[in-house]
Amino acid sequence: MSLYALYRDGHGAQRAVDALRAAGVPDSEITVISAVPMEHFEFGEMNKATRIWYVASGGGLIGFTFGTWLTRMTELAWPLPTGNMPIVAWWPNLIVIFELTMLGAIFATVITLMVAGQLLRRRPALYDPEVTTGEKILVGVEAPRDEKAVERALGDGVKRGGGE
Amino acid sequence: MSEGLPPTMTEDLLRPLLRTSWRFYLLVAFLGSIVAMGLGTWAYQMYRGFGMTGINNPVYWAFYITNFVFWIGISHAGTLISAILRLVNAGWRRPVTRCAEVITAFALMIGAMFPIIHLGRPWLFFWLMPYPNQRMIWPNFRSPLVWDFFAISTYLSGSLLFLFLPMIPDFALIRDRSTGLRRKIYGLLALGWRGTTKQWHRLESAMQIMAIAIIPVAVSVHTIVSFDFSMAPVPMWHSTMFGPYFVAGAIFSGIAGLIIAMATLRKFLHLEAYLHPVHFQNLGKLLLMMSLLWGYFVFAERLTTWYGNDVAEMNVFYVTQRGSFAPLYWTMVVVNFVIPVIVLSLKKTRTIAGCVIASCGVCVGMWLERFLIVVPSLSHKFLPYSWGHYRPRPVELLITVSTFAAMALLYVLFAKFVPIIAIWELKAGEHPSPALSPVAAHEHALGETHA
Amino acid sequence: MTACHAENNIPTVGPAQAARGRAMHWLRVERYWEGEFPDVRLKFRPVMCQQCDAAPCEPVCPTYASHHTAEGLNAQVYNRCIGTRYCANACPYNVRFFDFFNPAWPKPLDMQLNPDVSVREVGVMEKCTFCVQRISAAQIDAKAEKRELKDGDVKTACAQACPAKALVFGDLNDPESEVARLSRSPRGSKLLEDLGTLPKVTYLARQGDA
Repeated sequence: MSLYALYRDGHGAQRAVDALRAAGVPDSEITVISAVPMEHFEFGEMNKATRIWYVASGGGLIGFTFGTWLTRMTELAWPLPTGNMPIVAWWPNLIVIFELTMLGAIFATVITLMVAGQLLRRRPALYDPEVTTGEKILVGVEAPRDEKAVERALGDGVKRGGGE
Repeated sequence: MSEGLPPTMTEDLLRPLLRTSWRFYLLVAFLGSIVAMGLGTWAYQMYRGFGMTGINNPVYWAFYITNFVFWIGISHAGTLISAILRLVNAGWRRPVTRCAEVITAFALMIGAMFPIIHLGRPWLFFWLMPYPNQRMIWPNFRSPLVWDFFAISTYLSGSLLFLFLPMIPDFALIRDRSTGLRRKIYGLLALGWRGTTKQWHRLESAMQIMAIAIIPVAVSVHTIVSFDFSMAPVPMWHSTMFGPYFVAGAIFSGIAGLIIAMATLRKFLHLEAYLHPVHFQNLGKLLLMMSLLWGYFVFAERLTTWYGNDVAEMNVFYVTQRGSFAPLYWTMVVVNFVIPVIVLSLKKTRTIAGCVIASCGVCVGMWLERFLIVVPSLSHKFLPYSWGHYRPRPVELLITVSTFAAMALLYVLFAKFVPIIAIWELKAGEHPSPALSPVAAHEHALGETHA
Repeated sequence: MTACHAENNIPTVGPAQAARGRAMHWLRVERYWEGEFPDVRLKFRPVMCQQCDAAPCEPVCPTYASHHTAEGLNAQVYNRCIGTRYCANACPYNVRFFDFFNPAWPKPLDMQLNPDVSVREVGVMEKCTFCVQRISAAQIDAKAEKRELKDGDVKTACAQACPAKALVFGDLNDPESEVARLSRSPRGSKLLEDLGTLPKVTYLARQGDA
């Protein structure tokens, strides 16, 4: 069971977030949902640290390895000379290796987004359609330890929402 | 983007999805029938044999390869606008990015059909894919056509994902505002997006990475397409300049295609409040720059060839400049260079209408340019005894026409089901992150982060 | 040319298709007229696949349908060809041909087909193979008889048919063979040699010509 409230603008949401922090709720448990990224407010900076760049580079490395292996293995498995070129022709192989490297980076990025953004999750999560239809900002706590303190911090109009 | 957005923005941008007039159905039926005719023509070609085309010895590539290079070129619109402008934080890109990315995705799909259409045995096209099989056949990685396969697959996957990721928050918006089947479908497409700060950060990071990754892929794609020509010892194909020349030409034709698409959308979807003349002026300036760059490449190539005075190359040179291809050649120069430079340099003519006229000319000119690279060289190779000529036949003309209808049809259908301007990006543009706006323009506001 | 057509099951495309430039003469005889009437001279140049050692048609084929064999021939594998026609564009000699339609031999011409050579279907590329079926047959015979191939064991259809003995075929690797000797002649030159294709066919200039 989660507790949340809807605010009309970023200032209200910022006050609520600060109040929740004062009530002892750690940042990782505060959920802020908005229809647009609100990076011009301080609460918009929460949860910014990400390892997605490393994952993307890792994906690129996997693509690179796969491309090198594929071109070399197939050229050696079926050595057919063409046009006086060597059997393992690394100049043209570089092109295929480059493409597969970029493809690896791209796929790794998208998969990370799906996983880290918890998209495609099965369990119902804390959400209110008013965020998009009414252009409100939702500030809430998904599994509050101290319900009374959270209710006080959120102020008027506290709702109970979905999520576990 | 500090001018206020109309308060009815969401309604305006969702209206094409929610209201459908009889004109839409008529347009889809018309375009659909042309596309069906194109598909039927292709089936006819496969049934009767490839001889139904105008291909002969020595002109073994003509219309279909021209179309292939043309459509892959058009697909470079999205990359320039979306990726490059995103990376340099140009705010004016916001209403334009999705239009551009859609062109990329669909132009790539259409362009990628042509290597299959032009095959002698198209039902075996999958032999270009490396997969283990008992015939012990692997593709030849030394062949530029195999590079084409990898490059276009990578670019298509990347572009589709690059298009899809920023559509997720808009799908969530539509999901929340609809009911019934529409809610279910858009809910599925939104992948459970909520809009938490974590999700927004991950999305922005993902878009950054994709933008950085897609630019070298786009450059490589058209370079590899140019390698289809430069790797063969054909007079005036075997040029070291083809890579950059083709990429510049691709971006050139891509911007032209984008201007035409945007002007059409602006008129028919009543987006005057969102696509302002300044957007067209900015794109017009980019088009002017690419026209000058294209002219520079053509000049450098022709001058070098002329000084080289190689017998075989000069034959091709003169046949395009003075011979049977001269009318097409000079038309190309006029519509690609003379008209755009004049129309787009003068502020008075750099209006929306002026940009559209220049862009239409550029589309025609760039198609002619691809044709004039392929056919004159093939018809005048090294042995004069084997020179030939080429005339297109009805199957090639019909299929070419149907691809333009296919592009229009796909675009119209897309605009019906997805908001053609990214709603959340426009809204986010009103209050860009302090990291994006330069310090001089940065205004202090309550609760904002202190940079 | 007729011998080549007969030996290799090459279809005749008909006058309409030939007028559109689709005649499939694996071996063509080019004619060049020199001089003014009445001192006109006619020169012939037979051109077939040069079986280049650095063939530009080979690296560009996406399915290895065009590749180099260990014996130095440029092989064309019809079953692997998907008809991209890139090899034909890359060939500077224009000796590669495309099957634009399924070939047809009206009866009783179908009885003339050579059973040693496959009939190609629409959509594949084909070209002179130096009568590889005859080379293989001679090699099999030699192996059965437990001996090496001798010069003159293999005669391509065109060399066999030519009444003037203008075409000579043999093993270039055998320095004593007639073809190896003739290719070393000072009258010899290669076609489009400066393109770097390393063609195997040597053309001997007429005695008395430069």
